[in-house]
Amino acid sequence: MTDVITTPARVLVTKIGLDGHDRGSRIIAAYLRDAGMEVIYTNPWQKIEAVVALALEEDVDVIGISSLATDHLLVPKLMAALIAADLGHIRVVVGGIVPDEDEADLLSAGVSEVFHPGAVRYDIVSSVEKLAAEATNARPLD
Amino acid sequence: MNKMDKTVAAAADWQRNYDKMIGNDKVIKNRSGIEVQPLYWPQDDADGSYTEKLGFPGSDPMTRGIYPTMHRGRTWSQRQLIGLGRPADFNARIKSILKSGASALSMIPCNSVYRGIDCDEVEPEILGTCGTILNTVEDMDISLKDIPIDEISIGLNDPNPFTMLAQMLIVAENRGIPWDMITGTSNQSDYISHFVANHMFYRLSLPGAHRVQMDTITYLAEHVPNWNALSIVGQHMQQAGATPAQAMGLTLSTAIQYAHDCKARGMDPDKFLERFTFFFDISISFFEEVAKFRAGRRIWNNLVTERFGVTNPRAKRFKFHAQTSGFDLTRQQPLNNIARVTAQAMAGIFGGLQSMHTDGYDEVLSTPSEDSAKIAISTQNILKHEAHLCDVIDPLGGSYYVEALTDAMEEEILKVIGQIDDQGGMYKAVENGFVQEMIGASALEYQKQIDNNEQTIVGVNAYQEEEDASARPVLKRPPQANMEAQVERLKQIKAARDSAVLAHGLQGLRTAAQSDNINVFGAQLDAARAGATLGEIVTVLREELGFGQPLVVA
Amino acid sequence: MDDILQKRGLAERLLAGETTALARAISITEGESPAVSRLLKAIQPHLGRAVVVGFTGPPGAGKSTLVNAFISEMRRRGKTVAVAAVDPSSPITGGAVLGDRIRMAEHTMDEGVYIRSLASRGHLGGLSASAARVADLMDAAGFDVVVLETVGAGQSEVEMAEMADVRIVISAPGLGDDVQAIKAGILEIADILVVNKSDLPLARRTTRQLEAMLALRAPSDWKVPVLSTNAVNRSGLPELADAIEHRAALRETKGARDAMSGRTRRLLAQTVAKYVEGRVLHDQSPTSEAVVKALQKADIDLQSATIKILNLLQESLINE
Repeated sequence: MTDVITTPARVLVTKIGLDGHDRGSRIIAAYLRDAGMEVIYTNPWQKIEAVVALALEEDVDVIGISSLATDHLLVPKLMAALIAADLGHIRVVVGGIVPDEDEADLLSAGVSEVFHPGAVRYDIVSSVEKLAAEATNARPLD
Repeated sequence: MNKMDKTVAAAADWQRNYDKMIGNDKVIKNRSGIEVQPLYWPQDDADGSYTEKLGFPGSDPMTRGIYPTMHRGRTWSQRQLIGLGRPADFNARIKSILKSGASALSMIPCNSVYRGIDCDEVEPEILGTCGTILNTVEDMDISLKDIPIDEISIGLNDPNPFTMLAQMLIVAENRGIPWDMITGTSNQSDYISHFVANHMFYRLSLPGAHRVQMDTITYLAEHVPNWNALSIVGQHMQQAGATPAQAMGLTLSTAIQYAHDCKARGMDPDKFLERFTFFFDISISFFEEVAKFRAGRRIWNNLVTERFGVTNPRAKRFKFHAQTSGFDLTRQQPLNNIARVTAQAMAGIFGGLQSMHTDGYDEVLSTPSEDSAKIAISTQNILKHEAHLCDVIDPLGGSYYVEALTDAMEEEILKVIGQIDDQGGMYKAVENGFVQEMIGASALEYQKQIDNNEQTIVGVNAYQEEEDASARPVLKRPPQANMEAQVERLKQIKAARDSAVLAHGLQGLRTAAQSDNINVFGAQLDAARAGATLGEIVTVLREELGFGQPLVVA
Repeated sequence: MDDILQKRGLAERLLAGETTALARAISITEGESPAVSRLLKAIQPHLGRAVVVGFTGPPGAGKSTLVNAFISEMRRRGKTVAVAAVDPSSPITGGAVLGDRIRMAEHTMDEGVYIRSLASRGHLGGLSASAARVADLMDAAGFDVVVLETVGAGQSEVEMAEMADVRIVISAPGLGDDVQAIKAGILEIADILVVNKSDLPLARRTTRQLEAMLALRAPSDWKVPVLSTNAVNRSGLPELADAIEHRAALRETKGARDAMSGRTRRLLAQTVAKYVEGRVLHDQSPTSEAVVKALQKADIDLQSATIKILNLLQESLINE
């Protein structure tokens, strides 16, 4: 018997830094689940090393960082830590309050996309789907 | 006495109380020369429903207001949130805000303070962007330099275990100000609301927070009698997605829980309920918010009588501070937010609040700039003085819509309270995730309406425009150098302390936490006097009473 | 050729205890392929060391918090722990929100603990097939204890718990009808019953009810204990860990291989049963119709009907 399974994308939804608002990340988790993805959902205030450990253990394709205040300023450190841990294939998106002037910095640090308030569900979901496929293709061979 | 006579008698009562309180009541005439009375009520009340459901301001059932005079006598406190970067910056901002007409303070600390971490243990780039760094008594002292803290009412956004309050009391002590001159509120004393929503403020485990809260209430009742130790918060839950009726129902359920806790400690409801205050969100669903507050007032009045046998009229007063909803504001076309805040503020005023914070139009992007903070205050002043919204008490009272809506909101709110009762009370209901599920479902439901364009958000899903990104307000961040200096200063303070005295103070705190009958707040004051910082105090309490991991329901 | 070398690389790395390899291996053994078969074959000689513990129970019993406390207790005893936390996939969208590990956040940075969130997905072999593989991979990676955690709500979750060497069923007082909330099937598979939230007033009553139910059972060589825990303050955890180790040791005396082949046999039995069920339900041949009709009219009894259908199936399998 051969199973034909399209493996659902695995997305880690988490928060780094100090903020604790999770209304947005809960809604994103529901969006992604309804689009057939598996969401590993964590509590806020994860340290960067913890996010890397989680991404590794859970073998995720995409990491979604929900950010308020200035927590997004820590994301470049996350990107560097992922590369150092050989997880450079994982795609990272950031959603929440990100000032325009910082968006360019995030993108050049390797973040795939930044979602601002008012971002449309369809755009978020199809973007994450696309990125998950990219991540799969970018994986180092086992 | 027939029903009409009852109304006449009640009106006479109200008039008497009004006259006593109002002092110099000037005649108010509008632009057309018509004299505007302080209150309007029906000339007949055949079925008695007016007396039963509305009543007069300051009397049962309090629907129309908690005081006979309401805003015609004393308008609400303009209590704007302030907090930015270094204590010295905060001090400058306070002075500027007080000059523009704010009559009370509300201090916001940095997110690192909310998390209970000293600034020398946080990544420097995320320091001081949302509030003031307050790690030591010196920080508080600098923040309040030249501010008459014995004359101004101070709101401290200071979650359990209330280190900011401890710091402030010691500053008062050092300045020779007796503690009974200190007035204000512990705005974030509602640990249950932090467990459920806005987790940033949640530092100790649920039972640990309960212990500290009860000790603090007890201590303050004795030593700082004019301080409102308890502010029960509906704002976090509504911002997290609860509907207005749910937010009110959940908040009242929390108040019931705390009232039970106080009663269990042997406190007298007629006394402690006087010091219960509330803090609500005001969304832009205008009439719904007005009805929510009116219904809340009526329910609270009945509830404290029925459940706690309260007879002291002051203990029935539903005093609340409210903040305009940040969630309703948009990043797109941010100047539109000024109109939004205006509508929200009006709803709060017609709802009969006692204290208000209006958001800056750039709220979505950062803490308010000086300009946007000034506009936020001016908005309140314009509504007061130019739109004359305060000339009549409960002016929407009697509107067919508003009264029907108040009744309908009351029904919904009571339903929620009933559901929480079934769960065994608010503490249990948040412990097992019931409340989190409710709020999450509502958040999703509202998001669906936006996604489907059933709810229009101007500039976001309709009336969109190409925007010049460079015209958007810029996030103000404190200069890195300032933050580094702050960290340096903390290190210096730490190094200069007498380590034996410090160790003794922290050990006293630890012992208090471990024992059942030493007041933890009193011990915290001693530890702070011995030089202990915010981070050190919170660490000890976390070790002894448990780290606060909120139950997030996925 | 490269492919074979690469896959062998994965097995080697997994056996050496490399976390990335374990994580990848779990992902790829989702499906069937020659590479997966090779991987599973490569790990065979290294199985049988770990004690596989299944935790199941109704929602609200505090499973994840209990597992978290259990992990701490085992770490205290110097043991390494791997956890597979399974949540149901949406039958409509196929997606899932996996939040069990929120309760286990304190172990994220511990090298001696590996936690994997899994969605039940729609497996042909049932949830248990995948869970058995995951347990084997974790075993091969060298963990002393493997925890399978699932909600005891559906049949497949019960099956998954059956994959374990030691099966823990958790309940808590006040969950609806107390013990009635534990489905009969789940109760029967338990090696150890745990009443969590022992601080609640009804806890002792729940314990007594469970003990009473157990007393009605036929005696066997293992007496199922009913343990009391408070996962928040960690009371009862050492006793739980002791009971688990004791139960596992008893199974050990019959040989680790026996325990494992028992598991494999169970897996095979379940897969066969599912397969047969599918065939019988979808068989539209006149011969099977006749059997169904005969049974309906009570011309034959259920036992005979079963044998008849199995014979029909055997014939058609031979012909296929």
